[in-house]
Amino acid sequence: MTVSARDAGLVGCVRCGSVHRPDVALCSRCGAALSSRDPNGLQQVWAWWLAGLLVYIPANLYPMLLTRTLTQHSEATIVGGVAELFQHGDAGIALIVFGASIVIPVGKFIAIAFLAVSLEKRHLMNEQAQHRLFAVVEFVGRWSMIDVFVVAILASLVKFDAVATINPGIAAASFALSVAFTMQAAQSFDPRTIWDD
Amino acid sequence: MQVRPPVVRWWQRLSIVWLIPIAALVVSLGVAWQSYAGRGDLVRISFQNGAGLVAGQTVLKYRDVNVGLVETVGFAAGLTEVVAGVRISADVAPFLDAESQFWIVRPEVSVRGVTGLDTVLSGAFIAGQWDSAAGAAQTRFTGMETAPLNAQPGDLGTRVTLQLRDGNQISAGAPVLHKGIEVGSVGNPRLSDDGTLVLIDAYITRPYDRALTTATRFWDASGFDLTLGAGGVTLDVKSLASLIEGGISFDTVDSGGTPVTETTVFDVYDDEATARDSVFSGQSDHVLALSAVFEGSVNGLSAGSDVRFRGLTVGTVTDLGAFVEGEGRDRQVRLLVNFELRTGKLGLGDEATAEDAIALMGEFVSRNGLRARLATASILTGGLMVELVEEPGAAPATIDLAAEPYPRLPVTASAITDVRATSQGVLERINALPVEELMQSAISVLNSVEKLAANPDLQRVPGEAAGLLADTRALVTSEDVAAIPAEVRGITEGLRAVLATLQQGNAVENLVSAIARADTALDGVATASQDFPVITGQIRDLGEKANRLEIEALAAAATRLVDTASALIGTEDAKRLPPALADALAEVAKFLAEVRKGGAIANANSAISAAEAAANAINDAAKSLPALSERLTGLVAQAEGTLSGYGEQSKFNAELIKTLREAQAAADSVSSLARAIQRNPNSLLLGR
Repeated sequence: MTVSARDAGLVGCVRCGSVHRPDVALCSRCGAALSSRDPNGLQQVWAWWLAGLLVYIPANLYPMLLTRTLTQHSEATIVGGVAELFQHGDAGIALIVFGASIVIPVGKFIAIAFLAVSLEKRHLMNEQAQHRLFAVVEFVGRWSMIDVFVVAILASLVKFDAVATINPGIAAASFALSVAFTMQAAQSFDPRTIWDD
Repeated sequence: MQVRPPVVRWWQRLSIVWLIPIAALVVSLGVAWQSYAGRGDLVRISFQNGAGLVAGQTVLKYRDVNVGLVETVGFAAGLTEVVAGVRISADVAPFLDAESQFWIVRPEVSVRGVTGLDTVLSGAFIAGQWDSAAGAAQTRFTGMETAPLNAQPGDLGTRVTLQLRDGNQISAGAPVLHKGIEVGSVGNPRLSDDGTLVLIDAYITRPYDRALTTATRFWDASGFDLTLGAGGVTLDVKSLASLIEGGISFDTVDSGGTPVTETTVFDVYDDEATARDSVFSGQSDHVLALSAVFEGSVNGLSAGSDVRFRGLTVGTVTDLGAFVEGEGRDRQVRLLVNFELRTGKLGLGDEATAEDAIALMGEFVSRNGLRARLATASILTGGLMVELVEEPGAAPATIDLAAEPYPRLPVTASAITDVRATSQGVLERINALPVEELMQSAISVLNSVEKLAANPDLQRVPGEAAGLLADTRALVTSEDVAAIPAEVRGITEGLRAVLATLQQGNAVENLVSAIARADTALDGVATASQDFPVITGQIRDLGEKANRLEIEALAAAATRLVDTASALIGTEDAKRLPPALADALAEVAKFLAEVRKGGAIANANSAISAAEAAANAINDAAKSLPALSERLTGLVAQAEGTLSGYGEQSKFNAELIKTLREAQAAADSVSSLARAIQRNPNSLLLGR
């Protein structure tokens, strides 16, 4: 029979796992704040999740890169950039950008929402699956920053005045914020609640 | 009692973290709102041709600054036009009113230069122009196909319309010149409504448009003008730009014009002279059409020939034709010349109508005898003109108002100077000249001259004559001749002294008679170069006689000598006797001294009488050397003859005689030459 720390009247540290008595505030090993279950935890998840979603919209509507060459100006949104890369023949990079900028963030939104909802409705997925999902979400989240990284590198490298200049658009900042918010949302999710009945 | 647990409302459990999504929302919305609100209006500009328009890329520029972007490029309903939807920036949008103009700037290469080259790289763009006054807003515009004339906004100037008969010489963008400087440009030529004239807009920049009044005349300054007329050949070339693409010049030729407006229409004349002339004729000239039937040939008259009245061009010939007159057998072909007169040139003023002009012409014809005739306009080209002359004595005639197609003027005899007939006559006369004989004579003359020139004798004459002249000159300028006057004075003194001495003797009466004879001799003058040899012979004889010391014969001979010598007084031949003069005078002096010493009264008497006579003559002829020298020569001979009797200076006598002989020989030869030439002038050319 498995016994949870909460049932035993103890509190486990989220970071290092050492067990303490419930009236202790900080973990004696790693110094993290000890809390058994945060009643506002779910709110935080939802808040961060909503913020990330809200900022994700302009990240797709506004241009990510402003390219100016000798003969033309062009602006590209994320999806537009992917399409252009694909038309250019760079299918691999197009797939990478597509994956990093569209698939993963959207997947994260869905996954976090699903996890937050499944805390209420336990029958959607069994606990191991949920926990695995959470682990994946938390791990993958940071890799969405690839796109922002690419924009930053391009913008700083390609500055040839009239011949070719690349400037980041609004969408770059917006996307970075969106990724940060979802990362925080995943961070605020307490996986121990998955196992609570 | 049950203690109810505290009711915690849901909003109390709200954590603060919800602020984050709210802030994110607000920021997103704010950014979205700002970019939407600051977008500016969308205007639709329609063009005939959408070349260079790319949706999302083509910009709209005003004064070369981006103020808008083409968002959509589509077609109007019915595919009649290309409509570009342009998003204008908000700060410029209020100024777009009905007077705005839009055109597409593309690279253009023309004779005037290359414009719009930067659009090759950056793509065509739409340029807009509007003034800085915000008028009624408008969202639909029609774009122009080419840039307007005053393409830079803020250019002030005047636009006028020019009309031409022929738009061949002018192309769009040609310069407008004023006194040689470019003051504007012309736009595209277009046909007038009735299709007869070509209209061009001309734009003249400030401040040159100050010179524009209704009295301004425009003329075509393109290409070059070559005119060949009575005044000669004139070549008039303007600038290179106007040579290639044409140009229009203008100048205000008259004061007193009213200012121009946008709707003023000017005529463009063919050249400057016509334009300046037109000041007198005015724009609203009435044209009076007349005709005349001329006899004879109208060769040289063509449409466009002048019609002149008292030298002033009052009209032009419009056409020539022929018509058949008469019936049946009497049918004749008559030549009809139609011409038109400008009422302004006749001085009738702007208000005169054609009827007034006809009435005036009719009056001239019947009262002043105005007739039409053909006259030579240019001898060079043989062109003719119609001249209206007034012949008061002409037979009465009237203007035929009923003639078709125009009223007919009576004609009079032509005044054509036919150069051809005259020149033909001249040529015939030249033809008739005996040129060959003339050439032959000339050739033979030249041959003779050449032969004569090669004759060695003739070649020697100039040398000998020169030698003679040199000798003569040497003698005349020698000191001895210069000393003659002094010697003469001395002689005179001596003679006077001797005379005083002799006055006691009987020599006086001899002297007196001798003097009387000399006087008579002086009265008689005879010129004879032929006498000279006689005189020299006599002198010779005298000399010989004197040798024998026969006083009486000597005296007689001396008297004779005086006679002959006096006969030679005043001749110029004595100029040839210089060599003996100085020595002769010296001898005379010596002689006189000897006479005085020797007391040879008898010799002295005769000698002195002759000497006295000679001395008087010398005094009289002291002004003229020839006479003097002549007398002296006589004296010399006498003296020499006498002296040689003393046995002295016989060589001198011989010398004198020899010199005289040589001079005589020279004079003989020259005179014989002169005589020969006188007798036969051809001998100069043909030889002896």
